[in-house]
Amino acid sequence: MNEQLRQRAFEVSRRYFLGRGAGVGLGAMALGLLENMRRAEAEKPPAIGLPELPHKPPRAKNVIFLTQSGGPSQIELFDDKPGLMKWAGKELPESVRGGQRLTTMTANQKQLIMPSRTKFKRYGESGATLGEWLPYHGEVADELCFIKSMVTDQINHAPAMTKYLTGHQLPGRPSIGAWSSYGLGSENRNLPDYLVLISKMKRPSDQPLYDHYWGSGFLPSRYQGVKLRNAREPVLYLRDPDGLPRNVRRGMLDGIAELNQMRLEQTGDPEIETRIRQYEMAWRMQSSIPELNDLSDEPESTFELYGPDSRRPGSYAANCVQARRLIERGVRFVQLFHPDWDHHSRLSSWCVARCRDTDQASAALVKDLKQRGLLDETLVIWGGEFGRGVAGQGKWDSPEGGRDHHPRCFTTWLAGGGVKSGMTYGATDDFSYNVAENPVNVRDLHATVLHLLGIDHERFTFRHQGLDFKLTGVEPSNIIKEILA
Amino acid sequence: MNLLSYCLKLILLAITLGVPFSLCAAADVNFSRDILPLLSDRCFHCHGPEPTHREADLRLDLREAATADRDGTTVIVPGKPEASELLTRITSSDADLLMPPPDSHRKPLTKKQTELIRKWIAEGAKWGQHWSFEKPVKVAVSPQEKSQNPIDVLVQRRLTEEGLTLSPVTTKQTLIRRLSFDLTGLPPTPQEVEAFVNDPSPDADAKLVDRLLKSKHYGERMAMWWLDLARYSDTDGFQQDATRTNWPWRDWVIQSFNKNQAFDQFTIEQFAGDLLPGATPEQKLATCFHRNHMTNGEGGRDPEESRIDYVIDRVNTTGTVWLGLTLGCCQCHSHKFDPISQADYYSLFAFFNSIDEDGKAGGGAKPYLKFKSPLVTRAIQEAQQVVDERRPLEAETRKQAEQAFEPWLAEQIRFVEQGFTAWHLPQTRSLQSVEGTILTQEADGTVQASGPNPRQEDYRLTAATNLARVTGIRLEVFPHVSHTEGKLSRGASGELILTDVKLQVRRQGSSQLRDIEFATAVADVEKTAKGRNYGKIKDTLDDDPRNGWTTEDHDPKQKHVAVFALAEPLVLDDQEELIFVMLHRSTEGDANIGRFRVMLTDQPGQAVRSLDPMPLEALAAVKTTEVSKLDPKLKARLLEQFLVDHGVYQRKKTELDRANAQLAQVKKAAGELNVMVLAERKEPRKTFVLERGVWDKHGAEVSRSVPKAVFPLPQEKTKDRLDLARWLVSDQNPLTARVVVNHLWQICFGEGLVRTPGDFGLQGEGPTHPEVIDWLAVELMEHNWDLQHVLRLIVTSRTYQQRSEVLPALLERDPENRLLARGPRFRLPSWMIRDAALQASGLLNPALGGPPVMPYQPAGVWAEMFMGRFRYEPSQGAAQYRRSLYAFWRRSSAPTFLFDSAQRRVCEVEPRRTNTPLQALTLLNDLSILEASRELARTAIQQETTVPARLELIARRILSRSLDARERAVLERKFQLSFAHYQKQPEDALSLLDVGQPPNKRNVAADELAAYMVIASMVFNLDEAITHE
Repeated sequence: MNEQLRQRAFEVSRRYFLGRGAGVGLGAMALGLLENMRRAEAEKPPAIGLPELPHKPPRAKNVIFLTQSGGPSQIELFDDKPGLMKWAGKELPESVRGGQRLTTMTANQKQLIMPSRTKFKRYGESGATLGEWLPYHGEVADELCFIKSMVTDQINHAPAMTKYLTGHQLPGRPSIGAWSSYGLGSENRNLPDYLVLISKMKRPSDQPLYDHYWGSGFLPSRYQGVKLRNAREPVLYLRDPDGLPRNVRRGMLDGIAELNQMRLEQTGDPEIETRIRQYEMAWRMQSSIPELNDLSDEPESTFELYGPDSRRPGSYAANCVQARRLIERGVRFVQLFHPDWDHHSRLSSWCVARCRDTDQASAALVKDLKQRGLLDETLVIWGGEFGRGVAGQGKWDSPEGGRDHHPRCFTTWLAGGGVKSGMTYGATDDFSYNVAENPVNVRDLHATVLHLLGIDHERFTFRHQGLDFKLTGVEPSNIIKEILA
Repeated sequence: MNLLSYCLKLILLAITLGVPFSLCAAADVNFSRDILPLLSDRCFHCHGPEPTHREADLRLDLREAATADRDGTTVIVPGKPEASELLTRITSSDADLLMPPPDSHRKPLTKKQTELIRKWIAEGAKWGQHWSFEKPVKVAVSPQEKSQNPIDVLVQRRLTEEGLTLSPVTTKQTLIRRLSFDLTGLPPTPQEVEAFVNDPSPDADAKLVDRLLKSKHYGERMAMWWLDLARYSDTDGFQQDATRTNWPWRDWVIQSFNKNQAFDQFTIEQFAGDLLPGATPEQKLATCFHRNHMTNGEGGRDPEESRIDYVIDRVNTTGTVWLGLTLGCCQCHSHKFDPISQADYYSLFAFFNSIDEDGKAGGGAKPYLKFKSPLVTRAIQEAQQVVDERRPLEAETRKQAEQAFEPWLAEQIRFVEQGFTAWHLPQTRSLQSVEGTILTQEADGTVQASGPNPRQEDYRLTAATNLARVTGIRLEVFPHVSHTEGKLSRGASGELILTDVKLQVRRQGSSQLRDIEFATAVADVEKTAKGRNYGKIKDTLDDDPRNGWTTEDHDPKQKHVAVFALAEPLVLDDQEELIFVMLHRSTEGDANIGRFRVMLTDQPGQAVRSLDPMPLEALAAVKTTEVSKLDPKLKARLLEQFLVDHGVYQRKKTELDRANAQLAQVKKAAGELNVMVLAERKEPRKTFVLERGVWDKHGAEVSRSVPKAVFPLPQEKTKDRLDLARWLVSDQNPLTARVVVNHLWQICFGEGLVRTPGDFGLQGEGPTHPEVIDWLAVELMEHNWDLQHVLRLIVTSRTYQQRSEVLPALLERDPENRLLARGPRFRLPSWMIRDAALQASGLLNPALGGPPVMPYQPAGVWAEMFMGRFRYEPSQGAAQYRRSLYAFWRRSSAPTFLFDSAQRRVCEVEPRRTNTPLQALTLLNDLSILEASRELARTAIQQETTVPARLELIARRILSRSLDARERAVLERKFQLSFAHYQKQPEDALSLLDVGQPPNKRNVAADELAAYMVIASMVFNLDEAITHE
């Protein structure tokens, strides 16, 4: 109980001091110097998360999380298993399968091995192997750190993605971006700390992207990711109605502030002070956010680098350009989602299509950050909620063949932000079925990302319903020291 | 000096000095208040009830264990701190001995805290239970105190100890506003305020409270509380997120509150209505409570795993809502802090484990109750009324349009005299292939492929056009001698597969492209394809390489043709060009089109949705000069085409179509609905402890029983859900009544007496006023679980009726108002803000119950999340103005205007009360608030004649009070400014007013209306308007 008291008292005091530190305490406000206040607001030092953070010197300032939803196939893209050719069409040995659950989609089908549908090539000095559907990745292979031994325990999309992003399979916990925003805040006063961009796709996706993937769970809702929509209104309710020009809106807001100010004097409730500030922030967001969707000031060379799709607003490639621009503006955490990696059938056309959407732009983002000197302080993460199984779904030797979900191993890659470049960590067995060395649980990845941000995951907790919750949960998790630069 | 006040001062001191806060020593050490929280927080993790993490086989949660001799040492020797190992270890300077161990990441005990423990041991280490597990009792009050409200007596006792007093009673205006929001969720009308303010009788308050408790809106207000706890939703959640029809249960909840059903009965019916002797349909309906959890219909998921999730959700919800315990912890292990074991957990689980369900979702989520709601009739009438209103409007505009048709037709006849060209060649700017095919265009626009023949290929045609608009694209594919066997492609089979087409617009000099949507695609022939395969032309529109168009099965030596209709007519200026992309990305490939031609048309509607001759083509062919001689069928087609381009008519038609769609939807709700309820299966399932909470890892078998730490019952009294429910609401149960009155307190004060309403356990907060919560709990049980009795007691107390204004000194002393020396002031929940706006503007439709409605929300929210699988159509007519309680709740995308609501995925009991810029934007720009502003402005103009009187009306409707002179001056100034703007810019006024649904009467000048609308919107956005004052 004393803990709660302390925490609440602390939060209250922080709110007060933020107000007073900026010279807009009750006295100054009483003079009704709204214009001054607005100026003071703009000049105020940025809100910077929890005072005890970072726990240690951060290696990464920002994160760009390139989330590939649906479960990209490590067997076609990253995890080269040439030995599988001789197993083609044979049944997966039970010694390898070891009782692994299957989804009910393939549980009643023989587990016949389908070797990779792609050829692999070696790239760069690091000699990283990549499937031929990711040629642009090859160009930046020496910048990347491939974790080939990722493990999860969830076999269905929503629970697995929820776990990958929040540390727990059931909705209700804060996402990793919300934790980062809560802990570290952001340097930008005109934009949210945590922004989410979703690729605009034509095909209805089988896996909806739930907003709890970027939700704040039990953290205060201001830490939730704000989805930038590719629509006339990039953030819900951002657009003023037609027929309400900016000068009229400004007049309204001044009037609201003036009247709220009077109410503040009568009631003495500091919450009103906060509200006045939030209306000002809303006003600023109305101009700062629409600017984001306008890429017209980017030179031609940007679009050449990120590929033709980057010219289509809302595409994954355009969102990659956007992500770099947001990082430049000081946004702490940018998360992209690209749906439709769930290739149960016709892998060799379907998966190729998703690679074509993402390959060039993902690689371009790494290149671009490096050229701008931003890669050192920006951690890029690429990955999905699980991998895919070595057995074919449908006929293993027909064009219709695809792969079912597989939780026991998958690949995630990292770049920049204090991670070793040109390295591969962990390995799978000959079937890309089980992790053979250095398993990395989702919680280990989370611990490592927080570590790179200067946060000790053990000490970074939030009290909720009587428990101290942390992103990495209750089971022991390890920072992957070997991949730290 | 009182402990808590001392602590508060210390907190403030700590804040000011920036030193860590620490607990203070006090005169009397109270185990459950002072010591147990310390032991719980620092020790129980390893030395508590949970065995797997237990260290040194030591338990500190039990007195016998802690005072037992352990090979010569004793952890706690009552009366002898020096001899107690506990004290040695918590004060040790040796890091290896110190407790809690530094590497445990638990906060070390402060000096004050160790002193407190020393004192407690010295005083005899008196043990007790955690406060909430003790039976609540009423504290003694003196005879003269008995005449007062007990809440006031007990709160004032505390305040006196603090040297504080209650604040004065608030104004009558504020009081009626506060009461109306708390008890009905709606603000009072100006007439109600007037009547109350002018009622000098001493029992005016009591009469008001009685009136509000009898209001039918009381049940709605309480239902909103209950629906959040019950995680009520109109859809399943998860991937499919299918719609369910459980809303009759929501209406049952409203009616139960309006009947003031006793809470014990309310509980029993929801847990076990089906098991009651002679259960009525309504009692069975009540059990839907425990079916409101999410259901997962994801393909490939084991239904048994889902079923286990549902049972777990029921146990956890029971724990949170009735017991205030975080039972969820025990799913994987015994509780680390509270005396609930994992076996206890699964024994509760057993009560819910034999429901006749199989883990499925969507339409397969049995057991169901077939239920016909009597509340649909009104909804049908309303929907019918919208249709009836719109049908003549549509007919009238159609008649007007038809008058313009004849002259148009005459003009068309002249126009096609020299013949009519339907399809036009665009001016090709470039022709590219991605993989290296050589594309050559011939004089007639035909393009021939040659050179390399890659397995897969994209063609990209960039072109300009002189057409005033583009409505469709025609693709012709031709056989050619250079193709395989003179067929359609150079692939091995000579057949073609076009997987997708795309259309984009590029402006010269811009780096950006704009995607253009197609609505339909038709072809002369296509292969019959089942499922995801190559055949249909429409599959070229979905950007999926696993399907697409092929003419295989048809003559490959014939020309074939496809027409793609644009979703909207496209108007290009002379700076813009079209890019048409043809993708050949099929799985096996080698089927790229060999020869083709692309042409454009400007003809709308059916003209580009079929391959028949277009109406104007047909008109040209008949070579008539007189309208009267036209074939009626052709004339009808021409009229149809004419109407497609008639904007005014199309708008009216769309409005009518929507009304009809809504009527059809509501009529579906009129029949028997499937409501998910509880029912036992014939063969009970066995229940096992699930190891680490994993659904298929069975541990020891357990049977139904209740956690004995709360209060025990013999096995024969815990046979079924009915027994469980009776145990929950037994007067022996120390938790339920406390948890419930805490919720009622939270409804009225914004925060509970226990500020962790879902956790009354050791890790939760203690009550700010233990005597008050206990008094109210006993009072509730003594009064037959009458919720209104307790609510009445709360809201008629002086404590509740205090002013909420706060002076800096008190704010500094007690920033969170834990002492209750002032009234509560907090932001209203978003649903109340919307409802209040509807009420203030006069738009509110006060009907009770019925099928869910769709209040305004920004376009595209559902479509984005589900990539087009669900579309949100705002309700038409009166249904739009129903209370937020009735808003359709899609679990994966809660109504966007409810910016602070519980998410309803799992049970949530804590208020979410944040203050963010996104909320500001919502209140500024949400259509509901804007429309309410417009209608309130209209009323002000119609009912009053002067500017000050109109402003006054707006304020009284929204704020329930009059403006003071300063406020009026601000609003008048703002009004003059916006009025000046809209007088200068009348078109701005018209577009501002064009929000929401058109009003029935528009007898007010637009510029004036717009200016007052701005003012009303301002007032709706004031802090006071959205605050429980």
